[in-house]
Amino acid sequence: MSKTILCHCEDIEVEELYSALAQGFGDIETLKRYTGIGTGKCQGKCCFIQTLRLLAELAPEGSVYSGHMGDIHSIRVPTLRPPVTPLRIDDIVEERGDE
Amino acid sequence: MATTADVVIVGGGVVGLATAYTLARRRMRNIVVLERGYIGSGATGRCGAGIRQQWGMKENIILARESVKMFEELDGELGFNTFFRQGGYLILISDPAEYDLISGKIPLQNSLGVPTRMMTRAEMAEFVPGLNLDGVVAGAYCPTDGTCYPYAVLWGYAEAARRLWVDIRVKTEVTHVAKRGDGRFEVHTPDEIYETPVVINVAGAYTRSIAAKLGIEIPTEPHRHEICVTESLKACLEPMVISLKKGFYFSQSMRGEIIGGIGDDHEPSSYSTASTPDFLFRYAAALRETFPALGRARIIRQWAGLYDVSPDARPIIGGVDGMPGYFHACGFSGHGFMLSPMVARLLAELIIDGETSLPIEDLSLERFAKGEAVRDPYVVG
Repeated sequence: MSKTILCHCEDIEVEELYSALAQGFGDIETLKRYTGIGTGKCQGKCCFIQTLRLLAELAPEGSVYSGHMGDIHSIRVPTLRPPVTPLRIDDIVEERGDE
Repeated sequence: MATTADVVIVGGGVVGLATAYTLARRRMRNIVVLERGYIGSGATGRCGAGIRQQWGMKENIILARESVKMFEELDGELGFNTFFRQGGYLILISDPAEYDLISGKIPLQNSLGVPTRMMTRAEMAEFVPGLNLDGVVAGAYCPTDGTCYPYAVLWGYAEAARRLWVDIRVKTEVTHVAKRGDGRFEVHTPDEIYETPVVINVAGAYTRSIAAKLGIEIPTEPHRHEICVTESLKACLEPMVISLKKGFYFSQSMRGEIIGGIGDDHEPSSYSTASTPDFLFRYAAALRETFPALGRARIIRQWAGLYDVSPDARPIIGGVDGMPGYFHACGFSGHGFMLSPMVARLLAELIIDGETSLPIEDLSLERFAKGEAVRDPYVVG
């Protein structure tokens, strides 16, 4: 299989998602922490939707997506954390918004 | 029809999983771990990941020292990379009273084999370039303290435990616990009833709720503590830097993120894990003052977890008079992750051998009723 990048910030390939699933890291919160998907600068804005699509494709068969929440209804984005966009510490101290 | 188990562990955090693994390693079988969320969804997965041995009380120093020895061997023991890195802990000392307190404890730490030493401002400037030392009179540095990736420790313990036939149930909340007339316990979940002679209650800030179901009163309180990370940066910070006085700490992870937090003395007890802008303002101000160049770094994510705070900020570990087969470990007050390998070993000794290799009477629940609780001055947050 050719290499397809799933998470651009953290340079994570689709294969790494499949590998994590095969190892039993099926819970979306655990997948995020094990692979690093969505933990880079975009915080999942680019990769979560692709991750969900791949999980949805796998879920009905139940073969690869054998994690703890192996049904399509449990597929969701991980808990979203603030800030919405990265904030410079200088800007927080000086209480400046996005520039 | 009840499912029979030899041990039921309530809580799939680091203490629960480490205890499950340690018991299984010592050939106990039929061990079930019940976790309400996912592995590490409570305090372990939210913690600051620091591991330190600089404490003010002999018992705390020994507990931490023994844990560090175990962290040093953990990757090989579990067959899992936990990203343990001994970059040391540097405590920033800001006034003469704090200097006297901390320098006064170094002989005790050294006598117990913990290699802490004082650092002058000049040494600190060389060791951590970029630190702003205005208002800092000196430092205390222990080179064998360090940091770890908490989830890797959790997964390592979980996988190793599963290889030894431990049954780890996630998304499984304990709804009821009862002691039966025949001395055995019943542990209820929405789908199952487990019947067991041994219950280990290690549910973090929820330990007291589980204990209450058995009529045991644990005087701990949940307190929210907030944390955040920056984007990944080139390696620029060797040790964990902390200020006991400000309840402030930050370190650089193996991925390069600066991860840190700051306590809030006015935070009321609650189970809230919501993030607040107020925390960001206070943390950003403290970080920029302490390490001005980090002002240009960007914070990408913040979250919160619960400290289970005991009246003397020391753990509560052991059994309970009149309740044979029941054990708990809680009240870590923000320091459970760093102590977890040794706590697991002690719990396993208590359960299998009936006695522990280190005295833990001073960590008993009964100490509060007897008025024997003593607070360690080295508590952060």
